[in-house]
Formats: sequence, C-alpha cells, structure tokens
Amino acid sequence: MTEGTLATIGLAILQAAGMLALAPLLRGLIKKMKATLQTRQGPPLLQVYFDLAKLLRKESVRSETASWLYVAGPRMYFATAVAATTLVPVWMAAAPLEAAGGVLALVGILALGRFFLATAALDTGSPFGGMGASREMTIAALAEPALMLGLFTVALSAGSLNLGALVRGLLDRGATFHPSDILALAGLFIVVVAETGRVPVDNPATHLELTMIHEAMVLEYAGPDLALVEWASAVKELLYLTLLADLFAPIGIATAATPVLLLQAVPIWAAKIFLLAVAVTLVESTNAKLRLFRVPDLMAVSLGLGFLALAIRFL
Amino acid sequence: MIGVEGWAGLPAVVAIRAGVILLTLVMARRAAAARWIAFGGSAAASVLSTLIALGVLVGAPPAHGVLFVHGASGYSLGFTIDPLSAWFLLVLGVLAIPVAIFSIGYLNQGSLSHRSAYVGVAFNVLVGAVELVFATDDGIGFLCAWEVMTLATAALVATEHEIREHRRAAYLYLAMSHLATGCAMAAFLTLAVASGSFAFTDMLSGDVLSSPGRDAVFVLFVIGFGVKAGIIPLHIWLPEAHPVAPSNISAMMSGVLLKAGIYGLVRFGAFGLGVPRLSWGVVIVILGGVSAVLGVLYALMQHDLKRLLAYHSIENIGIILLGLGAGMTALSMGQPQLAALGVAASLFHVLNHAVFKGLLFLSAGGVVASTGTRQIEELGGLIRRMPWTAFFFLVGAIAISGLPPLNGFASEWLTFQSLLYGFSDATETLPRLLLPVSAALLALTSALAAACFVKAFGIGFLALPRSRAAAEARESPAVMLTPQLFLAGTCLGLGLFPGAVLGVIGGVTAMLPGLLVDPVMTGGALAIAPGRGGFDRVVPLTLTLVLLGALAVAGALAWRRYMAVRPVPTWGCGGELSARTEYTGTAFSKPLMMIFQAVYRPTRQVEALADVSPYFPREVRYHAEIEPTFERYIYGPLTLGVWRMADRLKVLQAGSLHAYLAYVMVLVLGLVIFVWWSS
Repeated sequence: MTEGTLATIGLAILQAAGMLALAPLLRGLIKKMKATLQTRQGPPLLQVYFDLAKLLRKESVRSETASWLYVAGPRMYFATAVAATTLVPVWMAAAPLEAAGGVLALVGILALGRFFLATAALDTGSPFGGMGASREMTIAALAEPALMLGLFTVALSAGSLNLGALVRGLLDRGATFHPSDILALAGLFIVVVAETGRVPVDNPATHLELTMIHEAMVLEYAGPDLALVEWASAVKELLYLTLLADLFAPIGIATAATPVLLLQAVPIWAAKIFLLAVAVTLVESTNAKLRLFRVPDLMAVSLGLGFLALAIRFL
Repeated sequence: MIGVEGWAGLPAVVAIRAGVILLTLVMARRAAAARWIAFGGSAAASVLSTLIALGVLVGAPPAHGVLFVHGASGYSLGFTIDPLSAWFLLVLGVLAIPVAIFSIGYLNQGSLSHRSAYVGVAFNVLVGAVELVFATDDGIGFLCAWEVMTLATAALVATEHEIREHRRAAYLYLAMSHLATGCAMAAFLTLAVASGSFAFTDMLSGDVLSSPGRDAVFVLFVIGFGVKAGIIPLHIWLPEAHPVAPSNISAMMSGVLLKAGIYGLVRFGAFGLGVPRLSWGVVIVILGGVSAVLGVLYALMQHDLKRLLAYHSIENIGIILLGLGAGMTALSMGQPQLAALGVAASLFHVLNHAVFKGLLFLSAGGVVASTGTRQIEELGGLIRRMPWTAFFFLVGAIAISGLPPLNGFASEWLTFQSLLYGFSDATETLPRLLLPVSAALLALTSALAAACFVKAFGIGFLALPRSRAAAEARESPAVMLTPQLFLAGTCLGLGLFPGAVLGVIGGVTAMLPGLLVDPVMTGGALAIAPGRGGFDRVVPLTLTLVLLGALAVAGALAWRRYMAVRPVPTWGCGGELSARTEYTGTAFSKPLMMIFQAVYRPTRQVEALADVSPYFPREVRYHAEIEPTFERYIYGPLTLGVWRMADRLKVLQAGSLHAYLAYVMVLVLGLVIFVWWSS
C-alpha cells in the first residue's frame, strides 16, 4: 500500500468520523430552534447524543416473525450513510474517495440503504411497516428524478459529475452568478426536505400512524437497532445540507490540505450549515404537513424547477 | 485459441444438438433419462459455443465457415462470428448453461415431468436457432434461423397447452412475431435487391440505399426487431407469453430472446444502413424512455410474480435502447467516442439484464414449483422455508434495481454517462433537450424499480406466509440452486469488475463502423469512466470495501447488546397478528397507482352483500383493474379491422372449385403478360 492510499484512507475515516460526530448536533440544533420559535424551552442541544447513547446500551427487542434481513436493515442503512460521507467534499475541495465515484455513486449508495431499510420494514408482518415502506419508496421514487435533474444542472455547468471536481470547477469559475442557480437551489431544497423526512413532506416528531412515513417504517425497531437508524438519518441530513452548501456556495472551502485553510474552512462550513438549518426550521415551523397525495405536486414543482434551471442554463 | 478452432466449432455445436435431439426422442418414454440427455447435452453444446465466442472476444480472428451447401441452387449457409456476434453468443451461453442445469431439476415436478422430452427437444432447437441467428452472415440463413427460433419459442410457451390462457399467449406471440418477421423480410429484400446479394457484407455495406428508402428500411427494422425486443407499443405479447411459459423458458425468453431483437437493431438498424440520421437516434431514445418508464409503471401494478418480471423486461429493454439511442445520436453528430460510450453501455446492459433477469426467473420458478402459485399475495414467509431461493432473489432484486455494487449499477451508470456526457458535447438543440430529460426518466425508472422489488421481495418472501402452500413450501434441490448461485456470483463479479467487461466490449465497439473507443474508458479492470479525464469515474470495488468497513462499524456499535435479544410477537394493534392483517402488494403499490392515475386509469367496483343491514355486510366483493391502454385503444381496433377485412374477403373464398381454378388461370395469364411486357 502506497503512502497516498494510506493518506486517502485516513482522510476518509476522519471525514466519516467527523460527520458521525457532528450529525446529532444538527438534529438537536433544529429541534432547539423549532422550540424557540414555538416559545418552548425544548430539549437540551445535546439530547440527541444522550438518546443515542441510551439506545445503544439497551437490549434489542425483535419480532418473532422477523428474519436475518430485519437485523441487516439498520446496519446496511447506517453503513450506506457512512460510506456516502466519503464521497462528498465537506471541509476540503476534494472528497476523500472522489476517485471511487461521483454524484451517481452517491445517490446509488443512499438508495441501497433505503432499499434495505424498506425491505426490512416488511419483515415483521406489522401493517405499519408495510405502510411506511410503501410511502417511503413512493416518495423516494418521485424525489429521485428531481434530485438528479437538479444535480445534473449544476454538475454539467461545472463540467463534471464528480463532486470533488465539480466543487473545484465551481471555485475556478469564480463568484459568477447565474439565474438558473436560484431555480436549481429551490428545486433541490424541496428534494432535501423530502429526503430528510421534514415537514411538509413528513413529520419526524410524530408517531401518529396516519401522518408518518419514515417513522412508520422504523416503528418496530428498538435499542441499538433503532440507534443505528436514527444516527444514520442524522448523518444523511447533514450530508444533504453539506451537498447544498457545496453546490451553491462553495466559497470558503479549503483548496489545499494546509492547517490554516482547514481552520478557516470548518467555521465557514458550520456557518453555511447553520443558515441552511435555519431555513429548514423556518419551513418546518411555518408549514403544515401535506396530505400524502399532495406530496407529488410538490415533487412536480421541484422537477419543474430543475428542468427550467436546465433549460435556462443551456438553451 | 482456447483449443476450439472457430471454423469447426459451430458445426460441432450444431452436430451435438442434432445428436442430443435424436437421443432425447429415442428416450422420450423415460422422462428422467430424457431430461439428463437433453439438458446435459444442451449445456455441453453451449459450453462449446461460449468458448468459441470467448475466443473471438479476446482477440482471435473472426471465425468463418460453411454449415451446408445446397447443391441445386448453389446456396451455401455460411457463418461468421465477429466480435458483435460473439458478444451475443456469450450472453446466450452465460444464461443457457445454468438454465439447462436448472431445467434438469425443474422439469422433475408434477405436470411438467412427462413433458420432459418435449421441452428438452424444443429447448435444444431454440438454443441452436438462437446460436445460428447470432452467427449467420447472410439474409436467408438469418431469416430461416429467426423463424425456427420463433416457432420453437411458441411451442415452448404452449408447453401446458391444455390451459386456454397458455394457447392464447402462444397464438398472440406467433401473430405478433410474424407481423414483425414480415417487416424484417421486407427490409432484407429491399436491401438485397439494391445490393444484389444476400450476404451481410454486401447488404450492410452502408451505401446501398439513398435517403427516403433508407428511412423506410430503418422503420421496418425497428418494427421487425422491436416486437421481438418488446418495445412499447409492440410489447403486448410479452406480458402474456413470459409468465405462462415454464420458468426455465421464461428465463431464456427474457434473458436472451429479447436480446435477439436488440442484436437485430444494433447490427441492421444502427450499423447496417450507413451513418444513422439524427432523427433515428432520437426515435430510439424516445422509444427507450417510454418503454423504460411505462414498463416499470405497469410492473408495479402486477401481483403475479412472473408477470411482474416480464414487465421489468420491457423496462430493461428501454434502458438498453436509451444507451443505443444516445450512441446513435452521437454518431449522427460525428462524435465517435461518445457513440462508442452509448453503444458500450447498451451492450453491457444486454449482458447484465440476461444475468439478473435469468436469476430472478429461476428463483421465481423455484417458488412456483414449490408453492404452485405465482401470486405474491398468496406467498410470504418464504425466507425461512426457502432461505437460499430468497437470498438469490434478493441478489437479483438489488441488481435489477441498479443499486451498487451489483452489475445493474455498472451498466445503468454507464447509460447515465452516455446521456449526460453526450449532452455536454451535443451540437444540436434537440438532443440537448432530450438527453437530460431521458436521464431524469432513467432516474425515475430505477427508483420505481427499487420500489417494485421492495414490494416483490417484501410481500413475496418476508413476514408471515399468506397461504397454506407458502407455509409448507420446501427449498429447491441443489440442481436448481447451483445455477442460481452461479448467476448471483456473476451479478457480483460483473458489478465489481466493470472495467474488465468494458475492455471486452471495447473490442466489439471497435469493429462497428464509425465508433472510436476512448482508451480511458477501458483502462483497468476495476474502474469505468465515460472518457475524457475528470468527468466522472466509478470504482465499485472501493465502494464495496468502504461499505463493508462501515458495516463492521455498525455491527460493532450494536454488538454489545447483540446477544441480549428478546424475541417478542409483533404488535398487532391490539388484535392478533395474522397473515390477513399484513400489508398486501396491492396496498403497497396503491399510492403509486393514485399518483400515476393518468397512466393507469384505474377502475374499481366494491359490492357489499348484506342480509339484514347494509352496515353489517356478509361479504364484500372488491374488483380493481387498470386499463390495458395499448390493448384496448391500439390493438382492439386493429384486430377488429382485420376481422372486417377477412369478412369481406370471404367472397373470394366461397368454396367453389370452378372459381378457384379461374383464379389460378387469371394469375398465370397475368404473370405471362407481365413477363412478356417487361422483356
């Protein structure tokens, strides 16, 4: 193994560990800000960490009807979320494993995790699992073309589908603004709301069977299994927000692996994520959850925005 | 090359098959012996033909030869195995060998057992005919082999001919196929007249026809081969014929026979008529997009496991066409490297679809053999009763959904690249609009396919058994599981080493006129890239290693309490949990049915039968249906028209011998006058 390979592996592990460590904080932050908007005190900022620690120490309660797939589901979901973090540039203008795959690999890996979790939800025989899996896969299917179209617009304007090269391409281009960016950002933001299970698509705070999608799917999980699912969802959320920051405001990201640049890049990244978290919180606090069959309209809007962005950009 | 000389190889294959057929007929009374001879022999012949194909693909010169010469006319049936033929022969072999072995066990059940000799003979005829279709180098030989292939398939579809539905499917297949063969024949005759020869080297030299004729011949080829490939709207026979055939035959039909249509489109449509026009490529991309999306949408509404798989074949043919169409578009705009990318993506998907769809049909066949039903609403819980079959089906499901690290991901990734990379270099407005939209459609397709296979696997194999048959299902014997293991392993191998596969495909695209293979694309066994450095690159093996590492972390995090697992019954909302409270496949796909109402136009009837009060129904009858749009609005009027015309023409055929003699007389006179006139 050459030195370069070792350095790459080290960077990948560091970035994945960093994302894993920080993701629950984002969840806690959004909860806290939401509570503040509702003039509640809300749970402590670090409550998500406490919950995870508690769940990881509890015993596993599993359905008698479930098979090995039920056990594999959360593990695969967690593994795909962690693997996905290595494909996205977070603090440096290069993803640790960008040589192994770009946007399409990222979307594919996340889809693999969703496939396993949805299949596992059907394993207990509970109707809730089936309902959640059905809704999750439906919304994912509608979100995927919108996500791809938005990503393609930005990627093609930067001349690469590889996230590292894409961010560098955007940086090289300088701070030129193009109207299509607004449309693509709006379209992708809707997709991110849907993919992370936030209001108005889904409500992460409720266990009421008629309103839930993601929560219904993982209803049967307990203990360490549930901890893995929750943690992975948090990582996915942080990952999606980072992706938005990369695509539309790459400025401030470290262009070389020097300590000074990195020390600058981390706070800038944190500020961008904070702003996006504020946006998510505002959307979640000022909207009601949509009826399931209104969600396709929202996805159609997102798809339309993506297409318009593409048309404006290239025609 | 690998010890098999090409010129002697193919005649040897034909001889083996002829011998196997004879021996099987001799042993027809003894089912077990007939099975072993027919399918063992078929596997052996397929191994030989695959070796020949591999030899050509790794660099041996194309194999030429003559199969037989007809003395009186001087016609000789020759064959040429060039890299393109070899690639399709390889696809055939990769599937035909495991399917033959599977058949030995599969036909050893109930009603099929006493038809072992029938299926065995027809299977050998079929595989032999497909081998000839891929290998012949002139129009007459091709059309003969094509027809034998069609007839053998129809015979196999009607294996259980005492069931009316099966006969109907076979007739529908025959009718559609012959419509198509007619078109292909017309196109061949036009080319043969223009070039003065039936040899492909003359017919397909590219400059035999000028513009309007060229377009017409292209359309004829699209119809002629599109029916066989199952392109929407020419697909209507496919969801009828694939499910009713025995599962080993379904695997062959879906995995290889559809690809014969693709072979025809590639060899004759895309590369036989000179440089394709832009509009041809656009037509193929549109047909591909429509087939992909509608195929998967219809698949979602199926609750018959094999019918569901049949509709997924249409979807995958659509994906293959997207790559091919992108390649043709690039070719027409004079971009040889992009064209090579698109064609390579489509050829890669041809192989991948054969492997994972073959695997899925074999697993489904094991389920059908064991439970006696194809309805997923009557299955469930099979992951405990048939763990291996369930596992193999899961592998196939992940592969067909285009998820990493299996082979479906690799070729769909390449197809995405051919659409997007093509976009950035496209010079005309139409493809610039069409290609990214097609990419979005492809994204929709693969996400819907994932939803469909969550349903098929989750409802069919997990949770509680929904019927007695499913509760008492038994695992398939090893002779049926081993071929599935081989195919599942191939799914993984092709997915992890896409670069190696692309290297082989590079040899195929290099021989096609107008294509130029970018060396970046085929460098290394592990990585694939669309071309020019930096656009994109994927190394599935690295992704897999990262996934495995992360999986180990996940396992370790949850390990401490792994041993302390408390099994409890699933909460049944206060009632008792039973198979009747489970989510059904119909319910699973209901949201998508409501969202895509415009496509499905669903109708439903609910009827409550009550004795005393309407609030306490004794029985509720529920009937839901989605509208068969193509059958009702295109083929319905068409069939009606044919009937009416036949009715009119009845006047001519009134049963009077004198009238018939008069027709012969008139015809002869007419011909004489025609000959006299033209000389």
